[in-house]
Amino acid sequence: MNIENVTISSNKEIAMNLWRMSMNAPKIAAAYMGPGQFINILPNNNWEHPIRRPMSIASVNGNNVEIIYKIFGDITDQLSRKNSGDTINILGPLGNVFTEWDNKDVEPILIGGGVGLAPILNVYESCRNPFMIIGAKTASEHFMKHDPKNNIYLTTDDGSLGIAGNVMKAMDEIVLHENSIIYACGPEPMLHVLQKHAANKNIRIQLSVESYMGCGVGLCQGCVIERQNGHVQEHSYHEKYSLVCLDGPVYKNSEVTFG
Amino acid sequence: MADLSVKISNTIFKNPIFVASGTFGYGTENPELVDVSKLGAIVTKSITLNPREGNPPPRIVETHSGMINSIGLANIGVEKYISDMLPVYENMDTPIIMNIAGSSMREYIDVMKKVEDVSSNIVGYEINISCPNVKEGGMEFGVDCDMTEKLTSELRKLTDRLLIMKLSPNVTDISAIAISSENGGADAVSAINTVVGMSINHSSQFSNIYTTFGGLSGPAIKPVGLACVHKVYHRVNIPIIGIGGIVNSDDVIEYFLAGSCSVQVGTANFRNPGITEIILHDLNNYLNEKHIDSISSLIGRVKTHG
Repeated sequence: MNIENVTISSNKEIAMNLWRMSMNAPKIAAAYMGPGQFINILPNNNWEHPIRRPMSIASVNGNNVEIIYKIFGDITDQLSRKNSGDTINILGPLGNVFTEWDNKDVEPILIGGGVGLAPILNVYESCRNPFMIIGAKTASEHFMKHDPKNNIYLTTDDGSLGIAGNVMKAMDEIVLHENSIIYACGPEPMLHVLQKHAANKNIRIQLSVESYMGCGVGLCQGCVIERQNGHVQEHSYHEKYSLVCLDGPVYKNSEVTFG
Repeated sequence: MADLSVKISNTIFKNPIFVASGTFGYGTENPELVDVSKLGAIVTKSITLNPREGNPPPRIVETHSGMINSIGLANIGVEKYISDMLPVYENMDTPIIMNIAGSSMREYIDVMKKVEDVSSNIVGYEINISCPNVKEGGMEFGVDCDMTEKLTSELRKLTDRLLIMKLSPNVTDISAIAISSENGGADAVSAINTVVGMSINHSSQFSNIYTTFGGLSGPAIKPVGLACVHKVYHRVNIPIIGIGGIVNSDDVIEYFLAGSCSVQVGTANFRNPGITEIILHDLNNYLNEKHIDSISSLIGRVKTHG
């Protein structure tokens, strides 16, 4: 875990409101453990926004760390205005990793929804020809090609590109096997549906959870998610709630429960 | 080199930069990001008699220059604190101030008794009578002069270590509670705990915090903290530990001028767990540049108009 002032090497819009930023971050790249981990970003030194923003790592190559982010507020808007050569302050790498995707006996099925595609693309680039489903509202939010021959399925809510509907529609195209593992990141309702689907089909799933974080390092205790099989007795600690920053962001199967 | 040491009762701290309760865990986390031996003191998260899971999410939300939290005193409970944390402190150079919260006089007393019954190197206790987020947070004590004095005097009987009462800004007259703490035998008061706040998402129309209300902290509350410290400064003779929105050395100087004898850094630790080292470094430079021999010479020296 490091705090590093890093230089931005590139920052480009790759689809509508979706940006890819590369940073030269040698310390964080050196400590990086694999897809699933995240960094906590501070775009500037003023205190109007006191807390950092967690963002999944989309790739690490040499000293280069890449994120993909969507503009939905002041902080991400500020990030999109950064140019190559500018510096930002980042804390990381944080959190745990997706596992078993590099096991040759495993058939990974990668599913990203909305901005949740960063860690999914990270796994994709390390896998040999996995199935991948990326969901978005409309065509302009996609930057990849719908390419079912190469196992890449895009979905749009409005049907303007790829398969019309949400990622579950694309799941119909994929035959699940005993050795399939679903790797998913995206909005909570999507993760909830996929978790139930995996349980029904009796296959394994790993979910990367998004959470509002105050620190990313376990100090603030803000980013909790409820454990599915957690004890709910009156006097317990860390049995009912899990800290996403330290225990996650990746959870397996039915470890956690959604709303 | 300016003298950064500060004295609270008979205890001398090597510098006035403490970390605030609930922003630095039990003091045993984060060795990678901060050299804790440089801190004046660590105030632990609130410890209660029984373990607590804390409140359901969402527990935190950022607001303009601040954040609202409602963690709900999640902690391991005093038994586990004694068995797991106290031994770790034996190998640390940093003074530890244990923060205690309770829902009744009995609970505060039981927690302190259990810790006093074992050998440890903690230097004192900060008594949370001001958590706004849970019924058990002691707030009923922190808004009532008689109960504050009674609780302080009961705890005073149990310990010779530092006894610090942590005051709430969510009262009509904070100095009245400070006077009650002094009358009860407290060595110091710390001020302020978080300010009750609320945040609403206009789009979803939901409150952004599960418990609806939470505690506002960060730079947004610095003016409130300064005012509370200065009000209390004129009314009590015991030292005041200033808290509220401290993010740099200028803020520390301002809290001293208002009447603090040391400070606690809180929310800023979330942004950078090593920020206290930067503050300490800059504070040293500031005092040297201004030829101020001792930081304690600044206590309460704010110049007012008229």
